[in-house]
Amino acid sequence: MAVVAEVGKRSWSWRDLWLAIVMLFPSAAVLGVFIVYPLGRAIVLGQQRCNSFGTQCVSNGFDQYVDLFLSTEFQGALESTAILALITVPLGLILGVGLAVLADKHLRGIGFFRTAFSSTIATSVAVASLMWLFLLQPSVGALANIDWFISIFPTVKNPGLLQDPRTALPAVAMSSVWAGLGFTFILVTASLQSVPRELHEAAAVDGASGTVRFWKITVPLLAPTLLFVIIVLTTRAFQTFGEIDLLTNGGPRPGNSTTTVTYFVYGESSVIASDPGLQAGGAVLLFVILLLLSALQLRGLGRRVDLGG
Amino acid sequence: MIPFAPRVARRPTALVFIVALSAVACSGGNSALDAGNNGTAVTTSPAESSGNDTGVTDGAESTGADAVDAPESTVGPATTIAPIAELPPCPVDALDAADGPVKITFWHGMANELETALIDVVDGYNTSQGRVQVILQNQTAYESAIDKYIASGIDSRPDIIQLPEYIVQSFAQSETFVPMQACIDAAGFDMTPILPRVANTYLFEGIQWSMPFNVSSPVLFYNKQMYEAAGLDPDDPPVSLDDLRTVSQQLVDSGVAAHGIVLDSGRDSGGGWFFEQWFGRVGELYADNGNGRVAPATEVLFDNETGFDILTYLQEMVDSGLAVSVGDNAGGQDSFFKMIDADAPGASTIATSAAISSVVAALGSGVAPGLTTDDIGIGPMPGPSDTPAAQPGGASVWIPVGKSDEVTAAAWDFTQYLVDAQVQSTWASATGYVPVRSDAVDLDPIAALYEDDPRYRVAYDQMLAAVDSESAVVPALGPLREIRSQTADAVAATYAGGDIAQILTEAATASNTLIETYNARN
Repeated sequence: MAVVAEVGKRSWSWRDLWLAIVMLFPSAAVLGVFIVYPLGRAIVLGQQRCNSFGTQCVSNGFDQYVDLFLSTEFQGALESTAILALITVPLGLILGVGLAVLADKHLRGIGFFRTAFSSTIATSVAVASLMWLFLLQPSVGALANIDWFISIFPTVKNPGLLQDPRTALPAVAMSSVWAGLGFTFILVTASLQSVPRELHEAAAVDGASGTVRFWKITVPLLAPTLLFVIIVLTTRAFQTFGEIDLLTNGGPRPGNSTTTVTYFVYGESSVIASDPGLQAGGAVLLFVILLLLSALQLRGLGRRVDLGG
Repeated sequence: MIPFAPRVARRPTALVFIVALSAVACSGGNSALDAGNNGTAVTTSPAESSGNDTGVTDGAESTGADAVDAPESTVGPATTIAPIAELPPCPVDALDAADGPVKITFWHGMANELETALIDVVDGYNTSQGRVQVILQNQTAYESAIDKYIASGIDSRPDIIQLPEYIVQSFAQSETFVPMQACIDAAGFDMTPILPRVANTYLFEGIQWSMPFNVSSPVLFYNKQMYEAAGLDPDDPPVSLDDLRTVSQQLVDSGVAAHGIVLDSGRDSGGGWFFEQWFGRVGELYADNGNGRVAPATEVLFDNETGFDILTYLQEMVDSGLAVSVGDNAGGQDSFFKMIDADAPGASTIATSAAISSVVAALGSGVAPGLTTDDIGIGPMPGPSDTPAAQPGGASVWIPVGKSDEVTAAAWDFTQYLVDAQVQSTWASATGYVPVRSDAVDLDPIAALYEDDPRYRVAYDQMLAAVDSESAVVPALGPLREIRSQTADAVAATYAGGDIAQILTEAATASNTLIETYNARN
């Protein structure tokens, strides 16, 4: 066919253009309708103020984004989000890797533990949150009625972990870590199984201890997976919504210490809940923040990943 | 192995991000509600100058420069609704011309046993006649129904929708509804049996916008065993706030309860709805222009002596341990759970009458060992007066505009069925809601239920108090939901021991900003 190109000549001709367009059309259309257009609309809407019906919109120029970004509510939400990420990402990673390494043994009955550790992946955020809600309920909750436990942590009983402004965010983070554990566990377990046993055996022969082998062999070979997990956990932390909606509704009042950026944008109790303009603005800001964060992570962490390659 | 498109120089990316995040530390401190209001924002911040740490961090202390000082009272903003003659008509007779049954969709927010009861009502209607077929569509909650309605175009909107009481102004001003008043006038429908408080809840600028369907009001839930053990009359719960203090003192002193009452700062309970109720109880307006009923409100009025007294009372009660706060009480169950706390139980709580059925069912299932269904007493909502009265809550049905005449007429026909005396009697007894009309309580099954178990009647009796001003019903405010968030913050800060005068001023300032913003956009 004419499509076969000769060496040294340009490899396409105008006659192929229509074919290219036809072939690109489906994905371009889908991307355009579901990604590009909504994003453009959100950016335009984000510099407007509207009534709750999204009508009577007034454009205020793009400095509305600056106003919104600098507002006390958005800054407070950003701070809560940062704290949430700083708790959930390291904790989720350490627990996930720790459990995966523990379960990566060929012992009788290890399947039970693998199933237990990965079970949270089959638990929806809603179910997990409701479970934690009744676990943490200060009057009739399971934790609040274990005497030795509340003697160590009296906050669990009065006013309750989710009711105390100082502990609400860590409590939400805890349920989030729990719910995300299965995901990390499965990914790391799968990755562990691809680490060649020969490397460990050779290192053991050379006298390397288990700890040394973990840091010198396991971790470097896991690096690509760990990078992926870190990015997913960070993104998940920034997009945490279900846990907050079900556990605290962005509260406790006053202070709303668990209002993260996502809850600020979409939350029913958010102060901007009836202004689609500000909501769109908040969503665009969140998009930009996540974009920058992912770029940073890929560049910063990506270098070391290649070593394992 | 990982796709990464743009090769951005490493340093600039990091720099941008660091600059962005460092703004956290040095932000200007304006509220998000002022975003986009060009010009210099006038910042009056009592919170910063006084240095009093109330924990109020909503930052809503600033007012946009666009804001115009509101006149003292009774003057509305430019936008008001047209007189009824210029609003969409209600072709009540169009059903006669329809060939075959007209199908209409009904969006509702009822869950669990309430949905079961609603299905029975709709089945009853569908089988009682052949002209209209109602198709129920569960939106799971009022909030979802609101959001979905707003997001829907005219064709995907339902033909009739159930909406809560707090959206009256914004939905009336949305220009997307046939005012119920048009149907009432066209059909000559008799509104006199409808309880005035209940009907007026859906009145805006003199127009009846929707038809009340399910009504509830706050009541006192109390532990009769504890009352008896403390030497109190278990059939005579406190009605005034002063009585509540005395009773609580006796309950605590006698050692039967750790706290006399369980309070909360929830937006739909102690932090918003109840706070409004207490103003209505003493006949005081919560917002100007007749609680926003005569014309759109321009400011809230709760930053006054009544507001100060109420918050002072709440703070004293919690400080002295006579009351305890369970915080935001999301979902409404924390306050009830506190009543059965093993270590430090409360003897009573205030909650919506719609919860009676659930509480009775829960006690019946043995959730609280030693407490039977008869041990929970229901009394009128305690308030700053000796006369029981409450502002109705709940929901009403609205008819969206832009449908065919047959469909609108069918929606109206169904609406009439929903408020039929017999239907209301059955519906109320199945759900625990209050009948919307006075003649329904003479009919079984609700008549028998009220006779058999007077606890269910308490919420109804509160609706019968005289209507002598617009304060008999909750304020109609465009951003009522957001204002309830502000008062909820205020009540929570009060429990935490903050300075009440300052808390009230901040909540009022923030609320007025919300109203100004709303009025500018509607």
